[in-house]
Amino acid sequence: MSIAATDFNLNGNGAVTQEPETLNKIPGNRAVWVGIFAELTEFGIFFLVYFIAKAHYPEQFNQGPLKLNTLAGTLNTFALISSSFFVAKALASVRLNDPQKSISWLWCAVFCGGIYLVIKIWEYHWNVDQGITTNTNNFYTVYYYLTFNHLLHVFWASGSLLWAIRQLKAGNYTQKNHIGFTAIACYWHMVDLAWVIIFPLLYVLR
Amino acid sequence: MIDKSNIFTGLDISWFILMIITTANAFVAETAEPSLAITALICGSIAYKGRRIMDYFMELNHANSTIQFFMRSYFHVFPALIFLSDLFSEKLAMLTAL
Repeated sequence: MSIAATDFNLNGNGAVTQEPETLNKIPGNRAVWVGIFAELTEFGIFFLVYFIAKAHYPEQFNQGPLKLNTLAGTLNTFALISSSFFVAKALASVRLNDPQKSISWLWCAVFCGGIYLVIKIWEYHWNVDQGITTNTNNFYTVYYYLTFNHLLHVFWASGSLLWAIRQLKAGNYTQKNHIGFTAIACYWHMVDLAWVIIFPLLYVLR
Repeated sequence: MIDKSNIFTGLDISWFILMIITTANAFVAETAEPSLAITALICGSIAYKGRRIMDYFMELNHANSTIQFFMRSYFHVFPALIFLSDLFSEKLAMLTAL
């Protein structure tokens, strides 16, 4: 019998299928979803601040993106989407009972997270060289608030991926039980989702 | 026996589509003049990218309906708000003036 990805239980198989989270089709656990919705609410408030600030200072928000480094923003989007892809592959590998492959995919994801952090720090230095700081105008204040907040999320979410690698090596995440790993993967995807909105808001739309 | 090809196809295609849309967004950022049509196009791309990531990477298309509802709503509401805040920017400024 062949098994497609959609047939897999969200959090594993065997005893895990009787866990409340699995019975309720919750990927990972309840706690991580409380965290994810809290984080998305936080980003949502930042987006509302952006809308209001843009309405009050249209000229600053029209000219602001032109002076930012679009290439850096684009490369960071590539890095985050690729990292999300690698995390999804890592989870699929665990379900196929191939923890070594899963670890390899997770290292790829961590590498992408590292690339993001390096590009973002380089971009901040580049901004300062162009005379763009937090006090330049309202657009750049919102830009720094949003992107630095997001950078922090990428930083600690990368740490959670390293934790997942450690757990995989220790044999704590298996084909039968990978609730914790699914929770970490969902959090990482949330960080990617936030950037999906941030990138066009700051670099594309005028 | 597990059919591995079925598992990876959706992920690979999603990654490719997301990269193409991101490249298109960057092209728009560098070349297009601001207009409502461009804003609508970008909002559509945000909603589509979000849905793609949620359904294929996050696997919400098989998940709890409440989680699915709130996550999908987020990526309908915020792209819509981006467009509406652009369309009614003067009214928004009036409403939020101190």
